[in-house]
Amino acid sequence: MRRPLAYPLLFLLLFPPPPVSAETNTYTAELKESAKRLRLQEHRYWHALLHYKTGVFGTESLVDDRNFFLSPRGKTDPAAELDAAIDGFFAQGEEEQTLPRCRFPARYDWLIQRLAADLSRLPEVSCRTLEENLKRIDAKSASLVFASGHMNAPASMFGHTLLRFDSSYESPLLSYAVNYAARIDRRDNGLAYAFKGIFGLYPGYFSILPYYDKVKEYSNMDQRDLWEYRLNLTEDDVRRMVLHVMELQGIYSDYFFFKENCSYDLLFLLEVAAPSARLTDRFRGFTIPIDTLKAVRSEGLVSDPVFRPSQARKIRHMASSLDEANIRKARSVLDNTVSPREILADGMPDTTKGRILDLASETIQLRYAKRQYTKEEYLKRFLEVLAARSTIPGTESGLSPLPVPEPPEGGHGSSRVALAAGIREDDVFLEASGRPAYHDLLDADDGFTPGSQIEFSRATVRYYPDTGRLRLQQWDLIHILSLAGRDTFFRPVSWKFRTGFATKPFPGGSDALVFSLNPGGGMTWDTRPLGLVHVLLEAEVNVAGKYSPDYTGGVGLVAGILRPMTGSWKILLEARQIFGVLGDEKRGREFSAVLRQGISLHRHHALFVDVGRTVSPGLHYNEAKFSWNIYF
Amino acid sequence: MKRILGIVALTLIFATTSFAAETGGLAHQNTGCGLGTMLFQANANDSSLLQAFQATTNGTLGNQTFGISSGTSECTQPKKFVQNERLNEFVYANLDSLAKDIAQGRGESVQTLAELMQIAPERREGFYRNLQSHFTEIFPRENVEYAQVVDTIVLLSSQG
Repeated sequence: MRRPLAYPLLFLLLFPPPPVSAETNTYTAELKESAKRLRLQEHRYWHALLHYKTGVFGTESLVDDRNFFLSPRGKTDPAAELDAAIDGFFAQGEEEQTLPRCRFPARYDWLIQRLAADLSRLPEVSCRTLEENLKRIDAKSASLVFASGHMNAPASMFGHTLLRFDSSYESPLLSYAVNYAARIDRRDNGLAYAFKGIFGLYPGYFSILPYYDKVKEYSNMDQRDLWEYRLNLTEDDVRRMVLHVMELQGIYSDYFFFKENCSYDLLFLLEVAAPSARLTDRFRGFTIPIDTLKAVRSEGLVSDPVFRPSQARKIRHMASSLDEANIRKARSVLDNTVSPREILADGMPDTTKGRILDLASETIQLRYAKRQYTKEEYLKRFLEVLAARSTIPGTESGLSPLPVPEPPEGGHGSSRVALAAGIREDDVFLEASGRPAYHDLLDADDGFTPGSQIEFSRATVRYYPDTGRLRLQQWDLIHILSLAGRDTFFRPVSWKFRTGFATKPFPGGSDALVFSLNPGGGMTWDTRPLGLVHVLLEAEVNVAGKYSPDYTGGVGLVAGILRPMTGSWKILLEARQIFGVLGDEKRGREFSAVLRQGISLHRHHALFVDVGRTVSPGLHYNEAKFSWNIYF
Repeated sequence: MKRILGIVALTLIFATTSFAAETGGLAHQNTGCGLGTMLFQANANDSSLLQAFQATTNGTLGNQTFGISSGTSECTQPKKFVQNERLNEFVYANLDSLAKDIAQGRGESVQTLAELMQIAPERREGFYRNLQSHFTEIFPRENVEYAQVVDTIVLLSSQG
């Protein structure tokens, strides 16, 4: 249910408080005087409460909603806002939403304490709705929750964070979760969606909802694992944070996908709870959620996490406890070719029957969430399976505990620089490269989704000492790859997308900088002995003056194997053939084969060894390269 | 820095549009008071670049606000536990998980249910078994409503 938004500022402007007494006037002046003496307008905590940031253009609050400020100049003037807040002490009225002290309880708690305000000289206020909400939330402690990557959406590897207020209930499902998100418009298409998200045209709002709703959303719908980090905060710290969340009800800030995003705005809440922590100042260019978790960890605010596996991970784990024949039985229950009662009549041990039916019911739920069943189909199958399941008594699953992966903050840093030496045919070269974010297929998987890659703006400069040639060898604006394994229960489509510039050799010893666009789609199978076996159909467009006409368009196929050899050693073997079909068809044809190996030496260091051969009409060369990668 | 990001982003946009079929986002189907109504449903367009993009922007469609007490008012209310608003809300919002956990005799939602009903820890094992063996009474039909489920569970726990 949505509550009407409140407009306290507007209300105050339209209906100014009744004339004030002389006593009020003196006390207002007194409080303002002591606020000035204490220089509260410059206090770090005042700036945290109002989300002020100081930059080259002066001080400004990142909150864009006028209703967040009591002074019309509040967004850019911390002192004016402080004066207005002190005036707000003396506001009177019945309507709670128009009383500054009820509307902005965290500000006033702090001011009362800092100014040692004499409550007997202030008008009495009672904030009933606020008190009810506080009682209902009943926050005793708090957790930071990190949602890890979706299996088939590499961009989700950046993660998402939310905050949870834990109550006196034992069950975390009854906690409340605070989330900051852009409020998007359903009618927007993909282009508008992306544009608005990046350039701050969507408003970002805080929400507070029962944690069970968030678990449904992330674990069951999005199939993302959750990591729950208990914050080292006292009950008083947590109370300040809850009060601040109450202040942010219905208040928007412009949402910027790269910086002022879901994770960045949560950091303000943490700074309100733990005033000594320096969090928001660490992020200037852009904010990657996992990096905010690392920052919170380095401030000593969290300890080891509790892992909440996604439904997909649970299904895979259940399936791993059954043999092929029994997995097929679960599958036939799903497909409605075998009834749950027939499973019961089978001569298997009860625990096996239970597991088959549990696997079936979880998967039925997952398929309904993915809209593969209508509601009628879902309800019929789900209840039939559960009714049969309930006749197998016992409350033990007998399943081995689900293996917990490496926690996300234990992974390599998002940025990487590398130095390399290599040889192309007879020419020795040296390379330097760097990328701001995020994960390469050959980087160590710990904390990331295996088979996923997402890299932004990876640039490589190459130098041939013998000829003195210096080239921008490669600049991938974006390179995404998702190799998601298919099995009995999951049938994801693997896909890739790459666009950027690369220096390509042309016959006769010359070369040219080429712009390419290269999408692809296909399938991957997670086979035990071989690893991730994948086949993708690709399209490729290359543009450069050296082509005649100026471009090539091709289609082709890439097939390969990605296999972890040990915990720290991975190999990728890939062959790729592109046929030119448009433009400079001849030059568009290219075959290449590569063997890449990644060996991580340490969380922040890795060695890559690449060998490959490329063949196109009138041109063929071998290349080998050895590189040292440093993550930070 | 912002300009470079802008360029990267624009490339991403053009990449995205070629794949974008529709923005579906989340659909929170909270129409009804029974099973299969309070699940979040995924976008039908499941594996596009668009979805990858949505995952990072983490957009909501305006249906998530300050839900400190969520409504069950459009549904018939349970007879017995009128005082226990948290219990009603929990059962209403978690009916499908509860059905699964009751059938299996274990799980986080039956544990939460037991806590909300103030079942003493030493009696919980018996409570779970009792619910499990009466599954078809608690969920007799596909269109059973949450209020009936609460009533039956309360009745069973008072007998057990």
